[in-house]
Amino acid sequence: MASHQQIAANRRNARKSTGPHSGAGKKRASRNAYRHGLRSSITSSAGFAKQLDKLVREIAGDTKDAILLERARAIAQAELELARVRRVKVALIERASAFGELDPPQAFSSVTQIIRLLNAIDRGRVPSFPEPVDSSATMPSQEPDRSAEAIRRVLPELRKLDRYERRAAAQRDRAVLFYNS
Amino acid sequence: MRLRNELALLPKSPLLITETADEFDALRDAFEGEIKPQGIIEQMYVHDICSIVWEILRLRRCKVVIINSAFRSALEGVLMQLLREPGQYAHSTHLGNQAQALAHAWFTDKEAKKQVSETLSRFDLDESAIEAEAIRRSSSDLELLDRMLASLESRRNKALGCVAEYRASLAHQLRESADRIIDGKDVLRLEPASSKKPTAA
Repeated sequence: MASHQQIAANRRNARKSTGPHSGAGKKRASRNAYRHGLRSSITSSAGFAKQLDKLVREIAGDTKDAILLERARAIAQAELELARVRRVKVALIERASAFGELDPPQAFSSVTQIIRLLNAIDRGRVPSFPEPVDSSATMPSQEPDRSAEAIRRVLPELRKLDRYERRAAAQRDRAVLFYNS
Repeated sequence: MRLRNELALLPKSPLLITETADEFDALRDAFEGEIKPQGIIEQMYVHDICSIVWEILRLRRCKVVIINSAFRSALEGVLMQLLREPGQYAHSTHLGNQAQALAHAWFTDKEAKKQVSETLSRFDLDESAIEAEAIRRSSSDLELLDRMLASLESRRNKALGCVAEYRASLAHQLRESADRIIDGKDVLRLEPASSKKPTAA
């Protein structure tokens, strides 16, 4: 068990942590909500609730058995979750295909660049603003090259979504096994 | 008819705008023909298998395009290495321009293609050296794609196994129900025909 001194030291050290400092770290942290968004349950959405009920009825039939209905609900929920991840994957590819990347083009790629610009203004020079790079201009115009390039550009995101998809599929498989047990 | 009703309840598989719903439906029909799903749960698995296979095909197409896209720069790289004279810098502008022009012409000009083949054969190489370089240059993307493909293939196999497991478990359940009926636990016991008293004529 940690002593009072250790607990106090931990608290002091924790106060020193003020989040990510680098551009890449901030960018990664900015996606935290998005990541957690996928983990949240879909039953909070009204449209899905209706679809869920229909699917539960189809699985469980006319039964009034509450346990069976609850098991059917678990299957249906995982199935809809799976469908949601698939929709997100396709939407990301489509967006990358249309705009060349997922994030809007930035005028400055780092804080250093902004500081240099401000210093130039301080010294009375008229700075030239860098032109944001238009990623869509570097996309192939023909299919299937364009879609393939879009997939290539969002590969790290697709890989992350793959993990959610696996989890949803595993949940559905467990629920099906449990339903028949 | 019932199968179509069940399908309507399942969420539609999202497709890219460049993909056609007809092709997806044809793939699903082929799987339905093979697996012959019974009931919504089996239908759910067939739908899942079909979506996974569709994605596998999509990623495989992407893999080919990624290698093909790297072909020109790979050819340039290989030519830079082969055309370099002893003592010449690898980053010489003249060498770079020569390789770039030849790599550009290789796609359209037969004469350039012949020249590249000759250059390659002087070093006991053939066009597979260009392909190998293209694969090497896109290896980080290909590695990610391969991981995703492996993951999808394992999920497809698991889903196929789940259909079999579900059927076996359902069969077991039905057998148990049938046994209960035969044992007469759940139904009224029928009297044996021999014990029936003959009715008066």
